[in-house]
Amino acid sequence: MRDVAVVSFAQSPCEAANRRDDMAGILLPVIREALGAVGVDRDDVDFFASGSHDFFEGRTFAYIESLDAVGAWPPVSESHVEMDAAWAFAEAWSWLQLGEGDIALVYGIGRGSLAADLDQVLPAQLDPYFLAPLRPHRDALAGLQAAAMIDAGLTSERDLAEIVVRSLSAATGNPYAQKSGHLGVDQVLDAPYVSTPLREHDVAPVGDAAAVVVLAAGDAARRLGDRQAWVRGLDHRMDTHYPGVRNLTRSESTRVAAARAAELAGFGASEVDIAELHTEYSHAEPLLASALGLERTVVNPSGGPLAGRPVTATGLVRIGEAARRILDGRAGRALAHATNGPALQHNLVCLMSGEAAA
Amino acid sequence: MREPASEPSVLREPASEPSVLREPASEPSAPTLPEPLTTMASPFRMDYTYVAGTGRSVFLRGLAEGRMLARRCPACAQVYLPPPEFCSRCLSRLDEPFELDGRGVISTFCVVSFPFPGQVHEPPYVVAHIQVEGSGTRLMHLVREVDPADVRIGMEVEPVWAGEDERENSLTSIRHYRPAGDEYA
Amino acid sequence: MTKALAVVGIGQSRQAKRREVTIGAMVREAVRGALEDAELTFADIDTVVLSKTPDLFDGVMNPELYLADAMGSVGLPVTRVFTGGSVGGHAAIYGAHLVAAGLARRVLVVAYSKESEGNFTWALSRPLPFSAQLGAGAGGHFAPVIREYIRRSGAPEHIGWKVAVNHRLNATRNPYAHIQRPDITVDEVRNSPMLWDPIRFLESCPSSDGSCAVVITSEEHVPRTDRRPAWIHGMSWRTETGHFAGRDEVNPQAGRDCARDVYRQAGIADPAGELDVVELYIPYSWYEPMWLENIGLAEEHRGWRLVEDDRTAFGGHLPVNPSGGVLSGNPTGATGLLRFAEAALQVRGMAGEHQVQEARRAVGHAMGGASQFHALWVVGSEKPAVAA
Repeated sequence: MRDVAVVSFAQSPCEAANRRDDMAGILLPVIREALGAVGVDRDDVDFFASGSHDFFEGRTFAYIESLDAVGAWPPVSESHVEMDAAWAFAEAWSWLQLGEGDIALVYGIGRGSLAADLDQVLPAQLDPYFLAPLRPHRDALAGLQAAAMIDAGLTSERDLAEIVVRSLSAATGNPYAQKSGHLGVDQVLDAPYVSTPLREHDVAPVGDAAAVVVLAAGDAARRLGDRQAWVRGLDHRMDTHYPGVRNLTRSESTRVAAARAAELAGFGASEVDIAELHTEYSHAEPLLASALGLERTVVNPSGGPLAGRPVTATGLVRIGEAARRILDGRAGRALAHATNGPALQHNLVCLMSGEAAA
Repeated sequence: MREPASEPSVLREPASEPSVLREPASEPSAPTLPEPLTTMASPFRMDYTYVAGTGRSVFLRGLAEGRMLARRCPACAQVYLPPPEFCSRCLSRLDEPFELDGRGVISTFCVVSFPFPGQVHEPPYVVAHIQVEGSGTRLMHLVREVDPADVRIGMEVEPVWAGEDERENSLTSIRHYRPAGDEYA
Repeated sequence: MTKALAVVGIGQSRQAKRREVTIGAMVREAVRGALEDAELTFADIDTVVLSKTPDLFDGVMNPELYLADAMGSVGLPVTRVFTGGSVGGHAAIYGAHLVAAGLARRVLVVAYSKESEGNFTWALSRPLPFSAQLGAGAGGHFAPVIREYIRRSGAPEHIGWKVAVNHRLNATRNPYAHIQRPDITVDEVRNSPMLWDPIRFLESCPSSDGSCAVVITSEEHVPRTDRRPAWIHGMSWRTETGHFAGRDEVNPQAGRDCARDVYRQAGIADPAGELDVVELYIPYSWYEPMWLENIGLAEEHRGWRLVEDDRTAFGGHLPVNPSGGVLSGNPTGATGLLRFAEAALQVRGMAGEHQVQEARRAVGHAMGGASQFHALWVVGSEKPAVAA
């Protein structure tokens, strides 16, 4: 494997509804900041990768509009995933393995606020014949999963409230968080149910933000800064679609992805200092921690998605936040996780270290 | 052959009420099973708020006042019409808006000759790329007040504005383009 | 790249309005075909890449989720690529990159569209916020570009009609092609309704349902079957901004850069002389001479002469789209991958009735957006001397 590292990360503040800026207005300053921090000119970028989804933007080919805003002239090597931008990060990482270039820029746009009602939109993610016609509430399948976890004795409503309290408290130190504060467990437990057993604060608040990561290989990465967050292992896996077929209390895809990432990295999820998990619901934390084998690891020091979920940028923010803690010396090893689909159907695990592979 | 359709790229639409037809597989069924479904309707309705952004807002407000406002990149001098907020080449914030008279030349065009669902204008009509004088980008608009057969690349054209009371924050404030000055005569 | 890569399995569904199957069942047709061709099972596949055009076309968001079972991708990494109409080409190249990077041994690349389940016309004719409501329709973007090509090259108008006939006759030799018009004539094309002047009805692509799948692997994992692989001699993608002054959309720089890069990898100095057959993304007939020039198979302004001289017809020196191409079937999400797959079928000698004799090197080409996204690969019947 070629040594590849995150050398820069920037994000915009996650806003519940940014009505001031269009997509380019949110994204371009973030790209400028991420490149500027490591003194990279846009012409030095060898590969561009991005992630977004039309159904959040409300138009077909939203990606092309963002690409035109970012600009590609002279022509560039470029690709796009219609997914969370964490998967664009995976593509950029694999592209750098080819040795055709040294620097890649990954950007993610997430606009959760444009759809008037996500309950109109998100059922379209389900099997179009059997599940979508049921038009479940956007949080309904998560509620089923959380209930299954509590029923199996794997967590409790109080445990979930404690996760919320810890996350929102951590977010008070994160200037990009959409939501933060020092709440009490009882206060959280007093909030109304959204989808039993999930209450108001158990559900990540959807918002608008962009995230940008600069990746560089080998000597280029070393040249661009004093520290690098080396991507030592990355993998992602898919579970079956139908919630009725899966054991909702486990995430087999996360377990397999973590095992494969550990094989590449030479260290496992249990050996990291911090983990940024794509928890769109509080119950996802114990579920993922179990699948990953996390024990004493600090989880979501940024506050995590419970403090702000800019839809298709959320996973890339996890990678950026995890890398940032290595870049600023607060962590030696870090894990980032991203997910998509109902009840954590598709999961990505990225292991990073301040040290390149021996 | 069905209606032609390809990668239109320049056409994007807000989502609202696509009528989506579903049909499960029609495996040969045993005699006791019901007849296979051939279609099932599953209509989605999706409503969105679109955000124009500060850059486009300047342009759209200008249209309501009957003015075409362009902006220049301070770094590379590219002039955008309509202007976004940032230069797509330099990532710099664009300079203050300034007015162009909107006249330009047709860089290329097509004649839409057939009716299709959702069509706004009665065919045949001319859709042209217009290189507005002073701008580094092209504007797409209708060209009218001329026989489509007489439209040619390089023709000088000018905007025809809607009446003051009809103007709004939209490109419809320009009704269309038409051959300019001496071209028109 | 240090190891040779190969396409070892190819499957595709019939292109048509497929009311008798679900999306999943139609995707499975291509997947099954690719696995059977490679004599592999799902257990041999370790990564899946999905190609699909906008989800609004058929109303399924993130279809990689619903299709996990149909694609056999449960327990595997899955990536859904989307880069406009070129997406099938981008997906194939990304799949090949994963093998080249050592991150996968055998990648299954899957592509489909089932636009008959959505309201395709609706999806393409909605007004754009903040833009004039011109109602130009799908071809309204491409017609002005074609007009500019005709002006520059001085090509006679029958070139477009002739391409339309060539491709439709080619389709009669491809059982998967949507449009079957064995009796088509130049007069018929000329007399078909004018849609977006200068594009006539029979010079335009249809809207189709359909799927395609390919298996890509590296030399050490090529399965031992009776069918030879298609070796990848070069692959490249390039993207350029869609709208700015001075952009040449008739002969886009990104396409020229992409072709130059891919010929360099393949060691091709004289593309027109060294390539035996090409499958190009031609949604409107005039794009045949335009792309021939863009990817270096004809001199600038002279691509139309290859059409005039019958060189690009089936049986000519450089047949273009012997499968019938996009003009004969256009499941948009799969259209790009079909071009890549058809090029591979040709050099494997497996193209059936539309097989070009002694096809040893072929180009697969895909294009998207406002001719902004370009993807190309060169495949050959021989393992490349120096890996691409």
